[in-house]
Amino acid sequence: MAELTYREAVAEGIAQEMERDETVVFLGEDIAKAGGVFKATVGLYDKFGPDRVRDTPISEQAILGAAMGAAMTGLKPIAEIMFSDFLAVCWDIVANQIAKIRYMTNGQVSMPLVIRTANGGGARFGAQHSQSVENWSMMIPGLKVVAPSTPADVKGLLAAAIRDPDPVMFFEQKSLYSSKGDVPEGEHIEEIGVAKVVREGSDVTIIALAAMVPRALDAADRLYSEAGISAGVVDLRSLVPLDTKTIFEQVEKTSRLVTVEENPRLCGWGAEISSIVAEERFWDLDMPIIRITTPHIPLPSADELEDMALPSVERIFETVRQGVD
Amino acid sequence: MDVLMPQLGETVAEGTLSIWHKNVGERVEANELLFEISTDKVEMEVPAPAGGVMKEILVKEGETVEVGAILAILDDGTDGSVGPIAPEPAPSLENNAQHLTHSLPAASPSVASAAVSPNHDPRRRLSPVVRKLVAEHNLNPDNIDGSGLDGRIKKSDVLALLQRNAPTTTDQASGSSTSLPSVDGKKVIPFNRIRRVTAEHMVRSKSTSPHVHQGVEVDFSRVDRVRSDKGVAWRAREGFSLNYLPFVARAVCDAIVEFPHVNAHVEENSLVVYDQVNLAIAVDLNFEGLVAPVIQNASSMTAVEIARSIAGLAARARANQLTPGDHLGATYTISNNGSFGTLFTTPIINQPQVAILSTDSITKRPVVVEQDGEDHLVIRPVGIVTQAFDHRAIDGAYAAAFLRKVKEIIETKNWEAALP
Repeated sequence: MAELTYREAVAEGIAQEMERDETVVFLGEDIAKAGGVFKATVGLYDKFGPDRVRDTPISEQAILGAAMGAAMTGLKPIAEIMFSDFLAVCWDIVANQIAKIRYMTNGQVSMPLVIRTANGGGARFGAQHSQSVENWSMMIPGLKVVAPSTPADVKGLLAAAIRDPDPVMFFEQKSLYSSKGDVPEGEHIEEIGVAKVVREGSDVTIIALAAMVPRALDAADRLYSEAGISAGVVDLRSLVPLDTKTIFEQVEKTSRLVTVEENPRLCGWGAEISSIVAEERFWDLDMPIIRITTPHIPLPSADELEDMALPSVERIFETVRQGVD
Repeated sequence: MDVLMPQLGETVAEGTLSIWHKNVGERVEANELLFEISTDKVEMEVPAPAGGVMKEILVKEGETVEVGAILAILDDGTDGSVGPIAPEPAPSLENNAQHLTHSLPAASPSVASAAVSPNHDPRRRLSPVVRKLVAEHNLNPDNIDGSGLDGRIKKSDVLALLQRNAPTTTDQASGSSTSLPSVDGKKVIPFNRIRRVTAEHMVRSKSTSPHVHQGVEVDFSRVDRVRSDKGVAWRAREGFSLNYLPFVARAVCDAIVEFPHVNAHVEENSLVVYDQVNLAIAVDLNFEGLVAPVIQNASSMTAVEIARSIAGLAARARANQLTPGDHLGATYTISNNGSFGTLFTTPIINQPQVAILSTDSITKRPVVVEQDGEDHLVIRPVGIVTQAFDHRAIDGAYAAAFLRKVKEIIETKNWEAALP
């Protein structure tokens, strides 16, 4: 084990796969010589050179168009979209082309492509650079959607995404880049589509993703010490495929479900999970399913307002405490 | 339409079809009694899921099949495109408002009707999982203490109740297995469900609780006087004989007021002491098994009321009409073996309770009594009352003091006044 930051784990995961497989290439804005605007790809250019680690013009459509062509013709590209907000200009390529190619060619053409992107708020970047948009990708058939919460999962899930024969949307949470954690040294790979129970609990299950996982864990600590409530926490890790098996097991156990989402409320991923659980585990529920989300607003850039908008430890604690009564 | 073996409880995986009330070719109306089943927990009558003509019976009487198995095919006039439907043994609810807030997928008509209430008490707004558990275990929500907001019943409240009552010494007997022929001079009688459950519970009780037995000799003269004075009138009025048991039961409830720790459960590392006495009475089912139905809140009853409750429960037990609800909540158990002339019995505790009392034969004996400084030999009705207690929960002196109190009450209470 080595202690790495979330951002260092990104570079380590990419390097692991580029060393293993020479068809893996990496392209994006300022990712090469500059090491990425979030310094998540430092050292890759020096190690693998300009042919495999490429800076691109400031055109997200160009990045993904080139990456798509490369993937169709035998390479395994990793494309970086600097801020996930910018995916909005990419949807034709992502939703209509990348997600559909395998299906429309009857499996003759595969799309081993990873789109990495920095997602989420908390950094005072304003409404156009702070959105948590994992739910945008979740609703497009043909895409896998991954969002790790720890450095170890960044490395392991990024490796799995690169090896996956189909397109994977890989959301790195900006507010987690400086967080630290133990990361296995040497080759490390995780399975996409398996949620992780990061804290066992008997009274209520809190399902969280990415930056909401550490907040849910802190809230669970407080729920136990201040309110005597045993809250389990599930790190979902990927939205597609969705690990309903783990979700159901936890719902059967605690009969109470809370989701904590950074994405805005309407059509957030928690709504989908609520719907599935209400349909398939209705008779196990002992309280209404509760969703804790960012409200349906453009995210403010003012410090205090942004902090109020995003689900906080305090809000999770209070909501669960009152809900469990 | 397929008629399926219904789910009768969370832990019940199979059931035995005991009686078909309709033969092939007969017409049955929706909700008319169609068949009866027995499980290790309960005997149950199941109504027809729909009206129609019995087309085929696939599971014969006496056969044991898994929950969900197809028992019969009912020609209900549809072309068969309707999916299989397990009988829903609940009566249909007439009132929509009730249906929205109080309908239950109940496992027995009696429970469903008990659970339907016209009011909007938050206590009665049952969550899905509570509804499911209540239905599966045939509970009446009115009897469940809710610990949630405004008294709402939570899943944990139901589970706690079920755990308190879970394994009993006693469940419904199911079928005789003594009519097997002998082969090579012996016959092998496989344990039926009630024997298996009893066996499992007895072994577990003995390995869980260090049992200590103590007995006291009790002079039943005062009780006897009441019985001989009022027995005939009682029998004429109540329709059953007045035996010693209600007096012992009342004395136990009185003594528990002073020694509440015998009226308790052991849960993990705690003794949970109950305010009210829910008194289980062991009832033998003609040597086919043992049940211990419960007199709820016996501590609030007079000896007369206890006598009526015991008679009612015993009659229902022997008629196989107990429901799982009759087994719930026991905090203390009395076993009565006196009718067979036993001197004393060393009973096994009905988990998770901490004590059980046995009454045995009461016979006339020569007894030395001291009067005015002189010893006199007199004839008195005397019996030994034995108690087994869990030494984890209480100690010998406490248990003995409790027994002494029971003895004192039986011997000195003004029973004439207690009985009309």
